[in-house]
Amino acid sequence: MAAAAAGLVFQFRDARWLPDPVLGPSPAVRTPQPVPLVIDNGSFQARAGWACSDPEVPGEPLLRFRSLAARSRGARGGAGTETQVGNDLGSPEPLRWLLRSPFDRNVPVQLELQELLFDHIFQRLGVSSQGCVDHPIVLTEAVCNPLYSRQMMSELLFECYQVPKVSYGVDSMYSFHHNTRQDWPCNSLIVSSGYQCTHVLPVLEGRLDAKNCKRINLGGCQAAVYLQRLLQLKYPGHFAAITLSRMEEILHEHSYIAEDYIEELQKWRSPEYYESNVHKMQLPFSSKLLGTTLTSEEKQERRQQQLRRLQELNARRREEKLQLDQERLDRLLYVQELLEDGQMDQFHKGLVELNMDSAEELQSYIHKLSLAIEQTKQKILQAEVSIEVDVVDSKPETLDLDPLGSEQSLEDVESIHEFEPLFAEEQPDVEKPVTTVEPVFNLAEYHQLFLGTERIRVPEILFQPSLIGEEQAGIAETMQYVLDRYPKEQQALLVQNVFLTGGNTMYPGLKARIQKELLEMRPFQSSFQVHLASNPILDAWYGARDWALEYVNHEEGWITRKDYEEKGGEYLKEHCASNVFVPIRLPKQAPRTTETLAPSKVLAASIGNPCDLA
Amino acid sequence: MNENKFMTMDPNTGPMEAAIKPLPFKDPNFIHSGIGGAAAGKKNRTWKNLKQILASERALPWQLNDPSYFNIEAPPSFKPAKKYSDISGLPANYTDPQSKLRFSSIEEFAYIRMLPSDVVTGYLALRKATSIVP
Repeated sequence: MAAAAAGLVFQFRDARWLPDPVLGPSPAVRTPQPVPLVIDNGSFQARAGWACSDPEVPGEPLLRFRSLAARSRGARGGAGTETQVGNDLGSPEPLRWLLRSPFDRNVPVQLELQELLFDHIFQRLGVSSQGCVDHPIVLTEAVCNPLYSRQMMSELLFECYQVPKVSYGVDSMYSFHHNTRQDWPCNSLIVSSGYQCTHVLPVLEGRLDAKNCKRINLGGCQAAVYLQRLLQLKYPGHFAAITLSRMEEILHEHSYIAEDYIEELQKWRSPEYYESNVHKMQLPFSSKLLGTTLTSEEKQERRQQQLRRLQELNARRREEKLQLDQERLDRLLYVQELLEDGQMDQFHKGLVELNMDSAEELQSYIHKLSLAIEQTKQKILQAEVSIEVDVVDSKPETLDLDPLGSEQSLEDVESIHEFEPLFAEEQPDVEKPVTTVEPVFNLAEYHQLFLGTERIRVPEILFQPSLIGEEQAGIAETMQYVLDRYPKEQQALLVQNVFLTGGNTMYPGLKARIQKELLEMRPFQSSFQVHLASNPILDAWYGARDWALEYVNHEEGWITRKDYEEKGGEYLKEHCASNVFVPIRLPKQAPRTTETLAPSKVLAASIGNPCDLA
Repeated sequence: MNENKFMTMDPNTGPMEAAIKPLPFKDPNFIHSGIGGAAAGKKNRTWKNLKQILASERALPWQLNDPSYFNIEAPPSFKPAKKYSDISGLPANYTDPQSKLRFSSIEEFAYIRMLPSDVVTGYLALRKATSIVP
C-alpha cells in the first residue's frame, strides 16, 4: 500500500502574499485628462487598475488583493494601532480572528473598512492629486444593490475623495460584455458564482432583466467553510492545521464537479478507484501530539521509572503515617493504663490533654487507631510485594497510545468500506497493551489528509444546498425557475447562450454538469449552448475597463458630483452593464453629531451640503 | 479613524507622525454619516449590518415588480433532498437512531458508534440538523 500511496501526495503551498509596491504611474494617466480608475470591488478580492488606451499603461489590474483588513494593536500605549490591508498582511492565518472585511455577504456595509481599502488602492496606484482623487471611478456593485449601501458608497466617494464622477455596474454584466462575440446574441442567461453568492441573471437585448434575477446565497466561502468542518471532524487531531487558506487551496486545485453526482459516488465506492484517485494532502510535521521522538522501549522505560518513583513516594508516606499513628496509640494506651491503675486525676488530666471527654471515647478511639495501623501495615506489605513486579499494563500507557491508535484505526475504518477488511487484523494489534514493539507507525501518513469523496462533495453544494442544510434551491433548479418566468420563445433565446462567469465557476466539470442539467430540463431535442468566460476571475475587471474606455467622455452612465448633490447618494444612472434604478429617495442620513432620522417613507430630504463638519 | 490621523499632528507625538501620514487625496474632515446608531457618540461607531439594511429597505415604497435585494432571493427547493452519508458522502440508506447520523455501510456504522459526542454534534450541525425536536 505504501508504494501506491506515494503517487498522489500533495503539499500545501501555503503561499505568502507579497506586499504591493507603491506604483508610480506613467504620466499618461493624467494627461490630457485623468483617466478612469477601474475598481472591481469584490467580497473576495479587490482588483484595481487604470482604463487608459495609452500603450504605456498596462491593460490589466495592477492591484489584486484580498478584501481584508486587520487592525492589530501595536505598543502598549494604545497608540500605534497598525492597520494592514490586503497583501500587506502576508498571510491571513495568524491574524485570522482579527481580519475584517467591509462586506456582509456581497454588499459592502462597513464603509470604514471600505475606506481603508480605497486608501490602499489609491496610495499604491500612485494617485497624487491633492485634496481629491481626480480620476473618474468605475466601481462594481452587487446585483440589486440596496439603496442604502449605494448611498453610503457614493457619499464615501464624493465627500471623502471628491471624485468627479462615478459609475456603478454589475460585475457579471461587465464580464458578459467583455466576452460577447459578434455572433453571440445579446440575450443570455448568466450564471455568476462568486465568493458569497451565486446569481442567475437573464439578459435580454443586452440589458439586465432585473426583476427575474435570482440569487442563491452560496459561493466559495460557504464551500471553504464546509470543507474545513468536514476535515476537522474527520481529523480532530489536526484541528489547527486545517485552515481556511489551505481549504481554498484544496478547492482551487483538487476539487471538481461530477457530471452525474450519484454515478460518480458509485465509482468512489470501489477500493481501486479510491486508491488511484484519492488526493493526500501532506500537512507539515508537528511534534505536538507525539511529544518527543522516543522509541517505544524508551517510553516504556520512562513510564516504569515514573511508576517506581510514585510507589516509593507512597511507601514512604505510609511509613511516616504508621509511625505517627503508633506514637499516638502509645499515648492513648498510656492514658488508658492510668485509668486501669486507678490514678483518676492523672487520667483526667491525660484525657483533657487528648481532648477527649470520657473513657468510652478513649476506648473507641484506641480501637479505631489500631485498626488503621493494621491496615497501613498491610498496605506496606502489599506495596513491597508489588514493587518487584514490573507493571506493564498501566493506565497511562494506553491513554497515551489511544489518541494515536484511534486516529489510525479511524482512518482505517473509514477506508475499510473501500477496502477489504484486511486491516481489521491490524486494529486489535494497536489497541492491545504493548509489551512488544508497537506496529510500525507511518508518521507521514498520520499527517496526511485524505481527500476522497470530499473532492466532489464540497462543490456539489452549489447544486444541492441541502448538503449543508440550506433550504434554497440549487443552480439547476433556480435556472429552471427563472426560465419558467418567461414565455417559451424567450426561454429558447435565453438558453442559446448560457454564460458562466465568476471565480467559483472554475471547477473542472462545471460546464459538462450544467449541460447535463439543461438537457434534463429543456424540452426534448431543443438546443442550448453553454459558454464559459475566458477568464472568469478577471473578466469583470476587463469588461469594466472596456466600458470605461468606450464611455469615458459620454454623459451616459456616469453619476457626476452635481447629480449626487441633487439626487442623493442612491441615484444610479443606468447603462448597459448596470443595475436597474428604482427611483426611491432615501432620507439623508444625519451626520454623527445629531440624531438620525427615522426613515420610513419617501420624500426628498435636504439637498445641498451634507454633514456639519466639526 | 480619520480624526485619529489629524489629531496626531501634535509635536509631542513625534514618532506617531511617521507612521500615520495624512493621505493627500482625502478630505481630512470627512465623517461617515452612516456611523452611529441612535445614541451617536464617539464610541458608537456601529454600521448597520446587512440584515438591518434590508429590514429598513423593506419599509420603502416598492412597486410590485421592482427588483430589490431581498426580492431576488432564490426560492426554496421543490424537490426532496437526497440523503447522503455524513461520513463518506455516499448515498445513505440508513440512519442511526441514537445519533441521527446517516451512514451507508456497516463499517461506517461501527465508526459512528465510536465517535465522541462533539464530533457527532459537529456532523449534525454541518447539516443543520441539530434541533432537539424528537
